[in-house]
Amino acid sequence: MRIWGRPKDSGLVESISLLALHLLEGDFAHSFAVPGWIGLALPCVKMANPVPSACCMVLAAVVVVYAQRHSQPDSHTQFERVGADVTMKCGSMDWDAAVTWTVNGTDIDESHLNGSYLILKNVDLSQSGQYSCYEGSAWHLKYQTTLKVGTPPREPVLMCRSNNYPKGFYCSWHLPTPTYIPNTFNISVIHGTKEMVCEKDAVPKNRCHIRYLQLFSTVKYKVTLTVTNALGKNYTTVTFDEFAIVKPDPPESVVAKPVPNNPRRLEVSWQNPSSWPDPESFPLKFFLRYRPLILDQWQHVELSDGTSHTITDAYAGKEYIIQVAAKDNDIGTWSDWSVAVHATPWTEEPKHLTTEAQITETTSASTSSFMAPPTTKICDKGAVVGSGAVAVCWTAGLVVAAYSVLFI
Amino acid sequence: MLNVTGDLPGDSWGIFTFLCAALCNLPALPALNCSEELGAGQSIQQTYDLTRYLEHQLRTLAGTYLNYLGPPFNEPDFNPPRLARAERVPSATVDLDLWRGLTDNARLAANYRAYSRLLCYLRVLDGQVGTAELRHRLAHFCASLQGLVLSIGGVMSSLGYPLPAGPAGPPAGPPGAPPAPNDFLKKMDDFWLLKELQTWLWRSAKDFNRLKKKVPPAVVTLRLEARGF
Repeated sequence: MRIWGRPKDSGLVESISLLALHLLEGDFAHSFAVPGWIGLALPCVKMANPVPSACCMVLAAVVVVYAQRHSQPDSHTQFERVGADVTMKCGSMDWDAAVTWTVNGTDIDESHLNGSYLILKNVDLSQSGQYSCYEGSAWHLKYQTTLKVGTPPREPVLMCRSNNYPKGFYCSWHLPTPTYIPNTFNISVIHGTKEMVCEKDAVPKNRCHIRYLQLFSTVKYKVTLTVTNALGKNYTTVTFDEFAIVKPDPPESVVAKPVPNNPRRLEVSWQNPSSWPDPESFPLKFFLRYRPLILDQWQHVELSDGTSHTITDAYAGKEYIIQVAAKDNDIGTWSDWSVAVHATPWTEEPKHLTTEAQITETTSASTSSFMAPPTTKICDKGAVVGSGAVAVCWTAGLVVAAYSVLFI
Repeated sequence: MLNVTGDLPGDSWGIFTFLCAALCNLPALPALNCSEELGAGQSIQQTYDLTRYLEHQLRTLAGTYLNYLGPPFNEPDFNPPRLARAERVPSATVDLDLWRGLTDNARLAANYRAYSRLLCYLRVLDGQVGTAELRHRLAHFCASLQGLVLSIGGVMSSLGYPLPAGPAGPPAGPPGAPPAPNDFLKKMDDFWLLKELQTWLWRSAKDFNRLKKKVPPAVVTLRLEARGF
């Protein structure tokens, strides 16, 4: 590279022409920019007279820009559909020029070439990459393009919901299948004749929110989402009433605790979802469901106010799973279920561990897995429950003894 | 009057006896008087319940009526622009901050006025409608709506607010509105009437929720004092 060296004993015009020739030959990397400009401008600066010096500078600039435009390999990006046939031309080279194509640095076999054109049939996603075209044996880079294979967007999925009524609502969207190329989303919200602005959220990206200006509107909201990429566009629309999209977030901080000395009770408490701005004027009602882990059937309780409830029919000693959902008292739909909490009702601590252990060892134990509510039954020899039951056992034993004496 | 010997002067003792007698008789007072004293709190709750009941009734009525009007009125996505003539039907739509800042009196008055006018329009509808089933449903709904208007009036009275002036009795026709020039526009009017009614019932539920929280305790003590006990 001899460009920045000042040519000796040549006129200004000559030196500029020489420089231009070098540039046009294109034997340099694309990072020419500044050093070349300085090299070209130096002879101009050396001139004594300011006016011709300025003209010279301008001329030099024009030359550099022109040269850069026409001698550097153009860097392109092209988008093509999956399954399409792609023909790549090597810039301005003739069809019969001898060229070599590479993809991501790897040579491409000549069978894919038609003259100097590269033919790719039925492209798939794996063929995305940087394609470069080099001239002849000197390996001058003539053309470069980045191929991105993708699909036009399919109809997007759009959902709008108000979890902070009456403040406003948000809409979120996504594409059902990926396109593999960049997409832009445009959302419009129309309320009657007015167009409202949906402010895009930073996180997550595919969401925007709107504030209600008026409440109790009879006019529906119409939200249209348009997806555009280099290969096509698509859109979807949803229309809804203000009331129809109200769905609170699930209740928070659900806590379930056993109640001391109550083997069949569980005390559940929770809080309004923090996103609900005004529970005083827009009260929530709640739905509680619970079941022991070992059963599949849920039990339900609907509560019109208050944020706590006592379950009174729990099976003693069994671990329960409990969830709560919320809904505006009058409008909209139920929230999703809250995070599940587990709790086991209070059980009595066994008092005389040593003596009881001895008794259970000697008798054949056949305790049922469910401790049913205390009822007086004819007890099994093995079951040890309490003094009352023991008395019954004794009585039963005596009766049996009496009968055996009579009939033997 | 008891004649009692002792230190208490006769008059004071008499008053004391009178008070005892009155207090003893208090539980025997008819239930109506008691509920009046329990006051606005309970009637607000009753009015709230009535709006929920009416909302439920309206759903069935609107479905039947819109089917009677035929397409496109009975299509769920039907979203026509609001015509100027539809503005005569009182709208529940209100600015959020304005709604929040309404006084109890203003809130109740807005509800009272709206339902009174809506009732008028509905009664006119009743006279024009085709099928017997629809007439029956409309008549039933009108009766319930009348009940709601009276209930709201009752709440206002118990809170000491004056009833807003307006068309109370059966009207000759909708106040000051030109009749629809053609059949389609007439149907549009009916569509908007039902829509506004539905929206008002949703709004009333929220209005009465707010009132419920704010009204009861102070009113009860006030009423007892007024009775002179």
